Amino acid sequence: MTERHDETMSFKFQPEKNNKTRTILNEVYNALKEKGYNPINQLVGYIMSGDPTYITSYNNARANIRKIERDEILEELLKNYLEK
Amino acid sequence: MKKLIINGGKRLTGEVVIGGAKNAAVAILPAAILADEGICEIDNLPEIEDINCIENIMKTLGAKIIRETPKSVIVDPRNVKSYCANDDEAKEMRGSYYLLGVLLAKFGKAEVVFPGGCAIGVRPIDQHIKGFEAMGAEISVEHGIIKAYTKGGLKGANIYLDVVSVGATINIMIAATKAKGVTIIENAAKEPHIVDVANFLNSMGANIKGAGTDVIKVTGVEHLKGCYYSVIPDQIEAGTYMIAAAATKGDVVVKNVIPTHLESVTAKLTEMGVDVEEGEDSVRVACNKKLKGISLKTLPYPGFPTDLQQPMTVLLSIADGRSMVTESIWESRFKHVDELKRMGANIKVEGKVAIIDGNKNLTGAKVTATDLRAGAAMVIAGLVAEGTTTITNVYRIDRGYEKIEEKLRGLGADIRRVVD
Repeated sequence: MTERHDETMSFKFQPEKNNKTRTILNEVYNALKEKGYNPINQLVGYIMSGDPTYITSYNNARANIRKIERDEILEELLKNYLEK
Repeated sequence: MKKLIINGGKRLTGEVVIGGAKNAAVAILPAAILADEGICEIDNLPEIEDINCIENIMKTLGAKIIRETPKSVIVDPRNVKSYCANDDEAKEMRGSYYLLGVLLAKFGKAEVVFPGGCAIGVRPIDQHIKGFEAMGAEISVEHGIIKAYTKGGLKGANIYLDVVSVGATINIMIAATKAKGVTIIENAAKEPHIVDVANFLNSMGANIKGAGTDVIKVTGVEHLKGCYYSVIPDQIEAGTYMIAAAATKGDVVVKNVIPTHLESVTAKLTEMGVDVEEGEDSVRVACNKKLKGISLKTLPYPGFPTDLQQPMTVLLSIADGRSMVTESIWESRFKHVDELKRMGANIKVEGKVAIIDGNKNLTGAKVTATDLRAGAAMVIAGLVAEGTTTITNVYRIDRGYEKIEEKLRGLGADIRRVVD
């Protein structure tokens, strides 16, 4: 097997994933709040149903929330809640 | 009489922008009457006849409606004093039954004419009535009018729907917004427009949780206020253009959509061999090869929508091989088949199943829109057919598709409207 140590390689670190989820959730939260929704209710509705109708299209929030899977959101939320 | 005349054989290409969801808008608009203070500004309304119809009914109740743009209205409900929507116009559309839930929530009583809509089978409203009765209403039907009365308003209740019903889910949810206590709707429908109506009501101050799942919890509130709200895009209109693009071997970007809502259509088109590419708020549908027949069954969301079954039968008629379509929602939703046969389609209907022997070259004919979505199917058939197709009863198409000939002409179709 040829080893290729001279190539650029990318590694995914857990903190990066955590940050991405946090960044997107914050952006979506702010977009919902600015449009006058109760952001927590809307996010809970989305996580429970999977329907992006819960998320406003304002500031690209609806497209952004689809960049992370719902199970990943829930996983991050539970980790943050239980490990603190 | 209005007719659509289509010279078929043109490939659809370009972009089409989808309007607001009809099935959400016909519930959101009357629900604006529930505001105890302020006004509602509702945006992204579809420019269709059913919206004009519901606006007219609301005016007879005393609502002031100001049309700001073709897609946006302000509803001022301060002068709504009547609880009787028994105007003949209410007979013309299915969605008028949402006034039962609205007026019951607002006044604790309602009289609404029995609803009309497309003749696609027996469309009982027993689940609506079951819900209202569980919440304390006494219901009777006299001379074609549904009368619902309560003693001091509705009360929260646990309601299990015997069948998954979109209309009943929305109607009970609306009625429960101002009921005393908590209402739980079990075996609720999960369609996107249910979430949209819940979002709108929550923006007015309602407390609804679980919309889009099979259990919805509504905690009644005493006071609702006006708000601004924009209706979600129409998944059925979007799906219709996706099917039309595939049928004409076209290349169309369908814009202003929520791709998640189109997953069942995307899956079936992909299975047939169509290239479907999802964007953030668009889908591109491209097709340059012979398609293959498939089996499909209509189901409540997230299954394949019954409203797109009729347009799909056109696509399956020109695909290779045999297809089987099972209509599991409505019992009379194959009326368009006789019209398609006039154009050369080979379809046999047995009960709730249609067997389609595909690979047929459709030819233009004089056909009629037997109902709203059947009309859309006829339009797609006309776009594909060799020669000229004339479609009558166009008013049925206008009930649910905004500017259909304008949008199709923008994609290269040869279609025009004539008035006899």
